Amino acid sequence: MAKKTDRIFLSCLLAVLLAVPAGVALWSHQETSAYYENRALAQFPALTWESLWDGSFASAFESWYSDHVPGRTTLLKADTAVQMQVLRRPVVNGILTTQSVLLPFMEYEEWAPESYPGPAKTIAADYQKLDAHIRANGGSFYFVGFPEQRVYFEDLFPSYLSSHQKEAAGADKAFADALTAQGIPFLDMGAVYDAQGHPANFYSAVDHHYNYYGAYAAYRAILADLNADGWDLPVLEEDDLEFQILPNPYIGSRSRKLYNLWPNEERAVIGVQRQPVAFTRTDNGQNSDKPLFVLPQTADLPTTYNLYMGGDFGETVLKTNRPTLPKALIFGDSFTNAMETLLYASFDETRILDLRHYTEKSLKDYISDYQPDIVLCVQNDTFYYTTTGNGAVWEE
Amino acid sequence: MAFSSVAFLFGFLPAVLLFYFLTPSRLRTGRNFLLLVFSLAFYLWGGLRLLPVLLASCVGNWAAALLASTGRRWRKGVFLAGIFLNLAALGYFKYTGFLLGSLQTLGLSVATPAIVLPAGISFFTFQAIAYLTDVYRGTIPPERSLFRFTLFMAFFPQLLQGPILRYGAFAPALTDRQETAADAQAGATRFCFGLAKKVLLADALGQIADGAFAAGDRLTVSLAWLGAIAYTLQLYFDFSGYTDMAIGLGRVFGFHLPENFNYPYLAKSASEFWRRWHMTLSFWFRDYVYIPLGGNRCAKGRQLVNLFIVWMLTGLWHGSAWNFVLWGLYYAVVLAGEKFLWGRGLEKLPAALRHGYALVLIIVGWVFFRAGSLAQVGEMLSALFGAAPGGAWSGETAYYLRQFRWELLVAIPAALPVKNALQAWLSGRRSRLSGVTLAVGPQALAFCLFGWSVVRLLSSTFRSFLYFQF
Repeated sequence: MAKKTDRIFLSCLLAVLLAVPAGVALWSHQETSAYYENRALAQFPALTWESLWDGSFASAFESWYSDHVPGRTTLLKADTAVQMQVLRRPVVNGILTTQSVLLPFMEYEEWAPESYPGPAKTIAADYQKLDAHIRANGGSFYFVGFPEQRVYFEDLFPSYLSSHQKEAAGADKAFADALTAQGIPFLDMGAVYDAQGHPANFYSAVDHHYNYYGAYAAYRAILADLNADGWDLPVLEEDDLEFQILPNPYIGSRSRKLYNLWPNEERAVIGVQRQPVAFTRTDNGQNSDKPLFVLPQTADLPTTYNLYMGGDFGETVLKTNRPTLPKALIFGDSFTNAMETLLYASFDETRILDLRHYTEKSLKDYISDYQPDIVLCVQNDTFYYTTTGNGAVWEE
Repeated sequence: MAFSSVAFLFGFLPAVLLFYFLTPSRLRTGRNFLLLVFSLAFYLWGGLRLLPVLLASCVGNWAAALLASTGRRWRKGVFLAGIFLNLAALGYFKYTGFLLGSLQTLGLSVATPAIVLPAGISFFTFQAIAYLTDVYRGTIPPERSLFRFTLFMAFFPQLLQGPILRYGAFAPALTDRQETAADAQAGATRFCFGLAKKVLLADALGQIADGAFAAGDRLTVSLAWLGAIAYTLQLYFDFSGYTDMAIGLGRVFGFHLPENFNYPYLAKSASEFWRRWHMTLSFWFRDYVYIPLGGNRCAKGRQLVNLFIVWMLTGLWHGSAWNFVLWGLYYAVVLAGEKFLWGRGLEKLPAALRHGYALVLIIVGWVFFRAGSLAQVGEMLSALFGAAPGGAWSGETAYYLRQFRWELLVAIPAALPVKNALQAWLSGRRSRLSGVTLAVGPQALAFCLFGWSVVRLLSSTFRSFLYFQF
């Protein structure tokens, strides 16, 4: 019996050892990205004398090989299930699972709130230059700040984990103070939400964004501020919209890291205009027939935050052909996406830039050419201190 | 190339197994040739620039041994020159940066050259010194075949992290060994268990240790103890896991490599610990440094000097930094104390107390070993004994205990001879079920652990073995 079991064991092991390279040889070219990890898979490294000499080929090969093991996604999904459901770890794949929401695991190391006013002042100086440039071109500038989901739900972190609550509060205040000191209107959506009772349903439980209710509340607050400043912008009232809860499963950036295994009943919401404001659309200079809400073809297919405007584009232009209304320029992170479906209805022309992707000209030159009446910068607070991408607002 | 890498498990390993076992067993030289080619490829995977040092060491030591063997003229001079050159190479590659860095600390303006440390140099240099010494002493004849000697030096299962081989014990298998299915099964099973020790336990426990040692101002007494205990377990599972894989692989190819660990955390004293931990290194220092210096057969004062020399060298062998020197000296003091002061008293204590004594000493010792600087040694030791900047308890400790509770729960019994006790219990029952469990259980468990380890490998960032740095 011992001999038989020896041979069976060795055969099974050898079969696995041989199956993996065979599978990689057959199928490695078929997949180029890892959806659940939100990244491109490593490419086969270039074989050069230098890379062989210093060993960098070996480490690059290891990354490529690991990424292309057959059934990798299934294996990682199974592992995630074991970590979550069998071993019941509080943190899996960098995500903290609580009763009601998914939050990111935050390292214990954090910056003291006192370390933020200095950098905030430097960054605000750039925004001040941008503000002056917008004014010189006949426009008005507003900064719209949002708490990110983990900041919005910071009270839901268990006491033994760090939520960086003090750091976030200090950093947000320092940034708002610095902009205000430069004379830039800072529209604090955190305060707006707090005034409405800090509703849990304004933010997604499984994504780092707000949801459509949060977006609509922010839209109303922004429009109220703009109209208070003397603009006479049409507003989409609640009665003008039909809030529809989509039947599709909703995959957020946090639940995606858990291979969508966390029990999630959340569904995306859209606000369909009862009497739609007609528009034409171009994305990156090309005519586009994309609607405001890009929905899956069937109800069982999952949807994501990208349903709003179809995701991020370098430049999107929405024209409503109502010349009596002002022209708007919105730039910022993906928190803009859900609000764009509402904001465009208040302007003659709305242009949206995502400076992470838009490279044709600088923001300064864009403003000089476009001459917008209103410029909105929309950022969530995790990007306030970023000076690249949407934080690169001023280039001399 | 690390054993716990996808490239090794699903590239190198199946290739060497196929080529080796498809070569007829009667072609012993052919099989050895394949092992040599694959061993060099295994080493060169880390960069072709590593090759010159290994080859120079092989050729130089092979030639030196021939010239230093019994009956040769100038053999003492050749032997001493050989030892000097081995130590000079080790010194240059491993300690130049440390030496010049220390001089810079003293205020001297010296440039530190960028020297690439050849992987495994401490191990293959010690093997070479042992071989040269054994030949010079006449314990073994010199190997006339450069090919066989190079295979001994570069044999891939043990090239990077040991066990440190003696040529006298290894050489017979080069010409006369048998590869059997039973050996292959036992070797493969041990390899799988070793991989699981490394990937499932050591890497997870390492996250606790990393967090505790990087805590700085957040360090609490509880976190310091948890981190030090986690590192104690991590190091054992990391290094003994590698050794299990090395011994297992050797056995698949018909070689019986020496054991390196014998449940070291069962020790009841520091001296016993060093008879159970990294045994091939301890034996090396005993045979090639301590005894030639006079060992125990000399005056107490001389014995003390010998002990301090051996342990300072042991510390330096493990790393080119002052905390390793301090770690070596720490053991010199403890071992001297056990030998001359409290050893006899210790033996009279109950076994549980002696275990506690040894474990505290070992855990504190690993703090010297793991710390990134002398300042960190001070911080951790202060925290262990109550003076922590963050107080007694923190949420961070609670997090690590919750997050890694399974690893901590499994690691403690896995570091003890529970497996042996279980085997003995099953053997004693003599029922059909226990027979089947004994026959199939280890292989089935090994197969599952292999699969789980691979999945964890895929899901985590690749981490190299701790002993690679030595």
